[in-house]
Amino acid sequence: MKGSSPYFSPSILRRRDLVPLVTGTAASSACGIWRGGLQPVVQIVKAPRYEQTLFETVRRILSEAGLDVRGRRVVLKPNLVEYEAKAAINTHPIVVHAALEGFRALGAREVLIAEGPGHRRIAWDLAEEAGYFREIPNFDKIFIDLNTDEVADVRISAPASKLKSLHLPKTVLGADLLVSMPKLKTHHWVGATLAMKNLFGIVPGAIYGWPKNVLHWAGIHETIVDLHSLIPRHFCLVDGIVGMEGNGPIQGVAKAAGVLVAGHDMPAVDATCCRIMKLDPAQIEYLAVAAHNGQTREAGVIQRGETIRTVATPFAVLRQWEPLRL
Amino acid sequence: MLAAASESLSYLLRSQNADGGWSYRPSGSSWTEPTCLAVMALGPAPGQHYKRGLDWLVSQRRSDGGWGPRAGVAESTWVTALGLLTMYKAGRAGSDDPAVRWLTAAAGAESNWIVRLRSFLLGGGKGGDDTSNQGWPWYPGASAWVAPTSIALLALDRINRAYPSAALLRRSREGKAFLLARRCADGGWNHGSSRALGYDGPSYAETTGMALLALAGEPGVSRRSLDRAVEHLSRCRGVEARSWLQMGLCAQRIRTAAPVSNLRIHDLREASLYLLAEAALAGLDPFGRN
Repeated sequence: MKGSSPYFSPSILRRRDLVPLVTGTAASSACGIWRGGLQPVVQIVKAPRYEQTLFETVRRILSEAGLDVRGRRVVLKPNLVEYEAKAAINTHPIVVHAALEGFRALGAREVLIAEGPGHRRIAWDLAEEAGYFREIPNFDKIFIDLNTDEVADVRISAPASKLKSLHLPKTVLGADLLVSMPKLKTHHWVGATLAMKNLFGIVPGAIYGWPKNVLHWAGIHETIVDLHSLIPRHFCLVDGIVGMEGNGPIQGVAKAAGVLVAGHDMPAVDATCCRIMKLDPAQIEYLAVAAHNGQTREAGVIQRGETIRTVATPFAVLRQWEPLRL
Repeated sequence: MLAAASESLSYLLRSQNADGGWSYRPSGSSWTEPTCLAVMALGPAPGQHYKRGLDWLVSQRRSDGGWGPRAGVAESTWVTALGLLTMYKAGRAGSDDPAVRWLTAAAGAESNWIVRLRSFLLGGGKGGDDTSNQGWPWYPGASAWVAPTSIALLALDRINRAYPSAALLRRSREGKAFLLARRCADGGWNHGSSRALGYDGPSYAETTGMALLALAGEPGVSRRSLDRAVEHLSRCRGVEARSWLQMGLCAQRIRTAAPVSNLRIHDLREASLYLLAEAALAGLDPFGRN
C-alpha cells in the first residue's frame, strides 16, 4: 500500500539526504521548560481504565517529567478525528481533563485545548460527540479550533518534504509548550499514528483543506518530520489505555493496552509506543528519519516506570504492515 | 450563542473588521471564506456592511483572477469559487470574469494523466476511488475533494445559467460526474474518499448537504442519497452540518423540518451558514442574485 495511493506521491525520503533536525529534547531544554539531560526519558505508567484516579496518575507523570511551566502558556493537542460510539478513535476526554488540571496544578498561566481535525470541519460537534463538553468544565472557553485560527507563515529551514514553508496557527506557535496527546493507534498509511503524526492536526484546514492533502502530496512521512522540526517546545502524553489496532486510524478495532506513555522526545516516545504495540519503530519511516539521535533503539532511551516487557501487547496490523512486527 | 436569525445577523454586523472583511472569530484578521459567506448572508438586505465586505473582497483579488484564503497566502485556492459566487450574487461577475478562467482550469492532481499512469504502474487505485473525473482541490497541486468541488459547481452553474457556454457546461458535467462517482455506499458523501482506505467509508452530514446542493436538478441523484440526507438531518446537532443539509435538501425540493432549538453558533462562519439556510427554507436560492 505504501506509495500506491492516488492521494499522495511515493515517499521521497532518503536517509542520506537528511540533515540533522532540531530535536525536541534540545529545544525544550534550551527554552528552560525542561530540566534534564540529553538522553531522552520516557515514562510508561499503567492505567487500566478511564477513571478518576487518572488525575493523580497524570499529575505524577508531569511532576516526574521535571517540567517547569510556572507562568507559561501550555497548549494540549488531543487527537480528535471522527466520532463513532463504539470506536476508540479519539483521545479520551478524561485524559485531556487530567492533563489540563495537572498543568494548572504545576502553575501554568494558561492551559488551552486545541485541535484541527483533518477530515471534517465540524470540530465543535466532534468535540461534543466525543464527550469533551461533558467532561471538561468550560470547554468552550478554552478550546481553539486550529483549522480556523490566525496563522503565520513559517519557513522550514531544512525540509525533508517538498514543502518550503507552512502556515501554522498562532495558538501553537505562541505556546510555551505544546503537548501532543495522541491515541495509541495503528495507521493504514504510515504504520502507526502517535505523537509525531498527531502534529498533522496543527496544520490549518482553512488554508490547506479537509483533508490536509497538500501534506500527502509533499510526502506523508516527510511532512511529519518537518512538522516535528517546526514545533520544538513540546511534550507528549499518549493515551494508550484503550488504543486501536488493525485498520487505524478510524476503522480499526479497540485494543486495551492499559498504559499512558509520556516524555519530552517525540521520536523516543513514539518508538516506545511502537514497542508496546510489538511493532519495530526502526521500520516506521518517519521515525527512522526523525530519530537521528538513536531514539528508536531501546538502549537509546531511559525508560521509567513500567518496562516495555511488562506492558507490551501485540496490536493487529493490516497485511502490508506485517513486516513491522517484532 | 444560541442559533437564531436575529442573533446571527447582529453577531455578523458587530463583528465586521475595520477593513470591511470578516474573520472566523471576532477580532481576528479578515479571511476570504467568512467574508464571502457573510456578504452572501447579508445579501437580501444589502447595506453599508454588505458594501464594505464586497469592497474588501474586490481588493483581495489576485492577479490571476482568483483569491487566496487570506492576505499573505501566495496562491489562489478553492476560495476562488466562493469569491466568484459572491461576486455573481452581487451582480458583479459574468462569464468573462477571470475567476471563471481560473476555476475552469483548476483540477485535482490525481486526475492528471501522468499521475494516473504512475498510480496504475505502481498498482494503486485497485478497488479504490475513481480518478477519471475532474473535481476541484482545496489547494493547487493536491487531489480533488467533495467540498471544493461542490462550491465550484455552485459558482459555475450559476454563471452558466446566466451566460450559457459549452465549455462551462462541459466542466460542470465533469465536476458532477466526480461527485456522483465519489458517493459513499450509504448514499451520502464524505470528504471525497469513499474507498481509498480499502473499505466503504461512511458519509458525513455536512458534505452530503453540500453535494446535494451542487447536484440540484441532476438526474443522477438517487432516492438513497436523499434518504441518507434526511437521516443525517434527523440526527445532526451542529449548525454547519444542519445548514448544508437544509440547503441541499431544499435544492432537491425536499421540505425539511424547522431547526431544532438549542443549536449553538460557535463562529462567524456558522452564523452566515445559518442565515443562508434560513433563506433556503424561506424558498429563496441562498446563492442566487439579490
